Amino acid sequence: MTVIVECEHVVKRYGDVIAVNDVSLSIEEGEVFGLVGPNGAGKTTLIEMIESLRIPDNGSIGVLGLNPVKEADELREKIGVQLQTTSIQPNIKVKEGIKLFAGLYRQPLANPEELLKTLSLEDKADSRFRKLSGGQKQRVAIALALVNDPAVLFFDELTTGLDPRARKNTWELVKDIKRQGKTIFLTTHYMEEAEELCDRVAVIDFGKIIALDTPENLIRDLGAESKVLFRVEGGDEAAAEFEGLAAVSRVEKIQDEVILYTTDGSATLQELVRFADKQGLRLGDIRTEFPDLDDVFLTLTGRELRE
Amino acid sequence: MRGLWPLAWSEFRLNLRDPMMVFWSLAFPALWLVFNAVIFSEPIPGSGYEGLNHASFLLPGGISLVILCASFIGVPITLTNYREKAVLKRLRVTPVKTATLALSFSISNVVFTVVGILVLLIIGRIFFDIQVLGSWVAFIGVIFLGMVTFLAIGSAIGSIAPSFRAANIIIWTIFTPMIMLSELFLPIAILPAWIQPIARAFPLTPINTILRDIVYGVPLDDLWRLGVLAGWIVIAGIITVRFFRWE
Ligand SMILES: Nc1ncnc2c1ncn2[C@@H]1O[C@H](COP(=O)(O)OP(=O)(O)OP(=O)(O)O)[C@@H](O)[C@H]1O
Ligand SMILES: [Mg+2]
Repeated sequence: MTVIVECEHVVKRYGDVIAVNDVSLSIEEGEVFGLVGPNGAGKTTLIEMIESLRIPDNGSIGVLGLNPVKEADELREKIGVQLQTTSIQPNIKVKEGIKLFAGLYRQPLANPEELLKTLSLEDKADSRFRKLSGGQKQRVAIALALVNDPAVLFFDELTTGLDPRARKNTWELVKDIKRQGKTIFLTTHYMEEAEELCDRVAVIDFGKIIALDTPENLIRDLGAESKVLFRVEGGDEAAAEFEGLAAVSRVEKIQDEVILYTTDGSATLQELVRFADKQGLRLGDIRTEFPDLDDVFLTLTGRELRE
Repeated sequence: MRGLWPLAWSEFRLNLRDPMMVFWSLAFPALWLVFNAVIFSEPIPGSGYEGLNHASFLLPGGISLVILCASFIGVPITLTNYREKAVLKRLRVTPVKTATLALSFSISNVVFTVVGILVLLIIGRIFFDIQVLGSWVAFIGVIFLGMVTFLAIGSAIGSIAPSFRAANIIIWTIFTPMIMLSELFLPIAILPAWIQPIARAFPLTPINTILRDIVYGVPLDDLWRLGVLAGWIVIAGIITVRFFRWE
């Protein structure tokens, strides 16, 4: 596989703050790579060093074989960028903005205006940028990142501040871009977003990468248990018997809700239903909770990702 | 220089969409000229200029106003606004060169200023029979030099101003004394003695004074005044290079 982005022992300090602390990672062609961490973790600092906007104090970075410090001009021809605080000229119209930015590249798309359609911005083509909604602005930002048909794209908190529907739409756009074979480096606060989109995830905290793997592996390595939760009338006598169900390690009862801790949620659920049938128990409000990347962060740092 | 003309054209169009820019650079100087030419029939005594109608006397002041307004509102306000909204940063991550960006913004501002001056000349010619007795080439040359000076000063203010708000405060603080003390309509000779050297050091004063000499066909023996402009260009250039920030 071709390596598209390579960081080795990258360090960036601001006074006493070490914003990025000895980060090494490498991203392969076609991969969607996620950088997840809380506010101030160093995500923007790292991604902007890779984009040639900030200069590392230490370590080396390579993007498409180019050095972002020494070969910034060449690099900027070839990457697509959405900045965390994305904005273009407030009074420029969407269509004008896309054409203007396309004109800054040596090899722009043959027909950049087609991006309006790809990103469902056709009816906003003649609207001024400042009058767009947050979701529309983000779609313009994606369009601008695509005008030069880049091999690799950088998205810094693409969906922060969007409502759930706009977020889902944006996810579909990212998946479309991935399907075109492009490499994507994104940062996010949302573990569900990382799980949904990323082939691999790096968890960053206080400038340091504290875990890096596929979402599945990160969760599996946690060894955390799933939960099966339900309500049952007169379950007191049955509680002891729930413990005998497949894969259950522990039973907890809070008021009339029963929580089964299990190493295999599906197996437990199946047996539970059969068991209840046989005993003539009426179960209500059955839910399951599987461990996710949020639990990974909690376990690694002892803190919630977002307060 | 890829992107130069598209960027310049885009900025020019954006200037036309900005009500502040349109009012202060296109409408205000013309209104000022018309208002003064209609209300007063001759210059305030002590100007030392004679032989032409009052509108011709006012023309250089109007042109100075266009140069002042277009550059002060166009450059520092746009620069700090684009910096605060991360527009500059977004442009920086494209392959466009810094020099291309600077030149395209300058071109759009110069063209906008020229439009403002043409508005004045057309109104002056049609309604007030203004005349220029001296050389048109010198006239245009001084205007151009004035535009360059004020582009440099505008960039310097935009570079040192920490924010959009600060840029606004700086500009409106300088604006009124600049208009009052640059001989646009008040002759420097009638100002208090202690303020006269300051007024002469103002960048707008030599532009206005030389233009007025050209309008009246007075021989240009005061060309040392251009040195004042050169000084301002150098100082403003150094400040810009030293303090310019992308974000
Ligand atoms: N230009 C700067 N000057 C001084 N300190 C900075 C600068 N940029 C970042 N920092 C500091 O570096 C640390 C990392 O900031 P960074 O913006 O990279 O975090 P982030 O993970 O992107 O956070 P967020 O999720 O809020 O965007 C913070 O402590 C921040 O205060
Ligand atoms: Mg950030």
